[in-house]
This record gives sequence, structure tokens and C-alpha cells, in this order.
Amino acid sequence: MIQLILFLSIGAALLFALTFSLRPRRAEGGSTALVQARQALSVLQGGLLPAEMVARVFDRTDLDYVELHGSSEVRRLFLEERTRVALLWISRVREQLQSLREFHAGAARHYAGLNPLTELSLLMDFTRLMLACRILQAFVYLRGPYTAPRIVGATAATAARVCSVSQESLAFLTPAYAAAGGNAARRAQ
Amino acid sequence: MDVLQAAEDLRRRSLVNYPRPLDRLIYLASMRDYNTGLYYHDGLASRYTAEVACEAMADCHKEAFRQLVSNSLEELVEQLEAYMTSTHTSPVDFIVAWKGLEPYRVAVPVESDPLAAQFLFSTFKVALAILESRLRPSAAPAA
Repeated sequence: MIQLILFLSIGAALLFALTFSLRPRRAEGGSTALVQARQALSVLQGGLLPAEMVARVFDRTDLDYVELHGSSEVRRLFLEERTRVALLWISRVREQLQSLREFHAGAARHYAGLNPLTELSLLMDFTRLMLACRILQAFVYLRGPYTAPRIVGATAATAARVCSVSQESLAFLTPAYAAAGGNAARRAQ
Repeated sequence: MDVLQAAEDLRRRSLVNYPRPLDRLIYLASMRDYNTGLYYHDGLASRYTAEVACEAMADCHKEAFRQLVSNSLEELVEQLEAYMTSTHTSPVDFIVAWKGLEPYRVAVPVESDPLAAQFLFSTFKVALAILESRLRPSAAPAA
């Protein structure tokens, strides 16, 4: 029985290795997934994850100002508004990460940008990020946008790192990369 | 290259009269045709072309938007107060109109990031509430 399990495990491992080594360099179709992934990356890197934007949403400077200069009514309105925007930020980050994850879990394997181990590690990072977003959502919903600065910082930093790894796998889509012979370089890998 | 020159020209000749990002945002939004989304500036178009002028104005509009989003709530309140004073409208009327019509919603560039736009709208709402509360300081203790 143990031998059978051992054989099956070795067989499964070989099959997994074979699948990755024989995967096609470029899939027919899948361009929609690529474009969506590129858009998600652009939204994350250009709009949601820049440190300045994260700080504007989650920094306490505005709250300190409201506490000094606003009535309790204004303070309540401010916290309501900032909680709404913070929840929107989290859901947008989550949505875009989900789109990127779907690309890496599916279409990405048809492109030669990343090796299997990097892909696996990336998928685990995506899973961790999804969880972090859910936890953050619960914190912000229940206790407001200023209660979990460490989770916000860690989530934004991990998401930025994942984006830069993902960007490498999508680099061949940018005109500058293609002009520099990126396609030839990728084919040679 | 032409667009960069035209944008610099616009900053030097026209936008210099609008030192605050809020004023620039409103001015540039007012130069945009609501039906086409294109910007018109006769002076700039005569020195360059209508297309170059349009693109330069769109760039400056985006720049003003980015600056305004990066400003703190305190800075936005100050800018809004200064803008309100410059319109020579009564503060009460101004706040009632801005709370009701929310003109800032149509003042943002077309391709703004939706989250940044929502963030700015939300900050405007609070800034207006702060200005409104300053108009009736004696009402607060009664609450």
C-alpha cells in the first residue's frame, strides 16, 4: 500500500513537471485575459497603490484637522466618508488583484515570462493578499479606516511587489520592450 | 513637443492668474465642451493648433486634479473658502448651491482614476460641511 502511494506520488510529480516543461510558448487567443491583466496592473500601479494615494486615504492628518476644527457632526460625516472611500480602495485593490490572479492561474502559463516556481509563489502571494484584503475590510467596516495601519502598509507593499513580478511577465506587451527585441529575448529563454 | 510648449505657454499666460489648484481645475473644466469633451482656447489654438491646444489643456487639467487630490483637507478648505470669496456670492448661497449641485463632480478630467475622483468628491463634501459649520458657530453647543 505504501509502495502504491509512493508510485502514485512520483507519477503525479512527473506528470506535473511534464505539463510545465511541455507547455506551449504562446497560446492561441487569450488576448482578452492579457489585456485585462495589463489594465489591472495599470490601475493598481498607477491609481491605487502609489504611496501618496494610500497615505491620502489612510493617513490621520485630515482626522486630526477635523478634530481640531470641526464639530461632532462634521467629525461623524468625515469618518463616514473616509470609511466609505477606504472600503472602496480595498474592494478595488481586491478586484484588480483577482483579475491578475485569474490571469496567472490560467492564461499566464501559456507565456514564457515566469518559471513554474515563481508562478506558484505568486499564486500563494495572491491568496495571502485576498485574505489580507478581507481582514482589512472587516477592520475598516467595524472600526474605521485608522485602526489597522500595519495591515494597510503590509497589504500595499505586498501588492506592489506582486505587481512588479507580474509586470515582468507582461513586459513583452509594452511597445518599448518589443522595440528592444523583447520577443526575441523571450523566445530564446 | 508642441503639446509641452503649449502647456507651458498656458501655465505662463493664463494659469498664472489662478494660483490655487481648485481655481485652475474649475477654470480648465469651464474651457471644456460638455458635449464633446474637447477643450477650446482661442489664443492658444491660434499660436499652435486646436488639437495641440486641446491636448495641452487636458494635460494641465489632469495636473490640477492630481495636485488637488494630494492636498490635505485643511488645504482644500482654505482653497474653497478663497474661491468662495472670489466669486462675490454670499457664503450661505454658495454652500447651498455647492451642496445641492455638487459642481465639482463635473469639474474633474475625463480619464481620472475613479477612486481618486471619489476621494476628492468626498473631501469636498467634508470641506463644505466645515465651511457651513463656521457660518453658524453658535448652533453647535445647542446640539
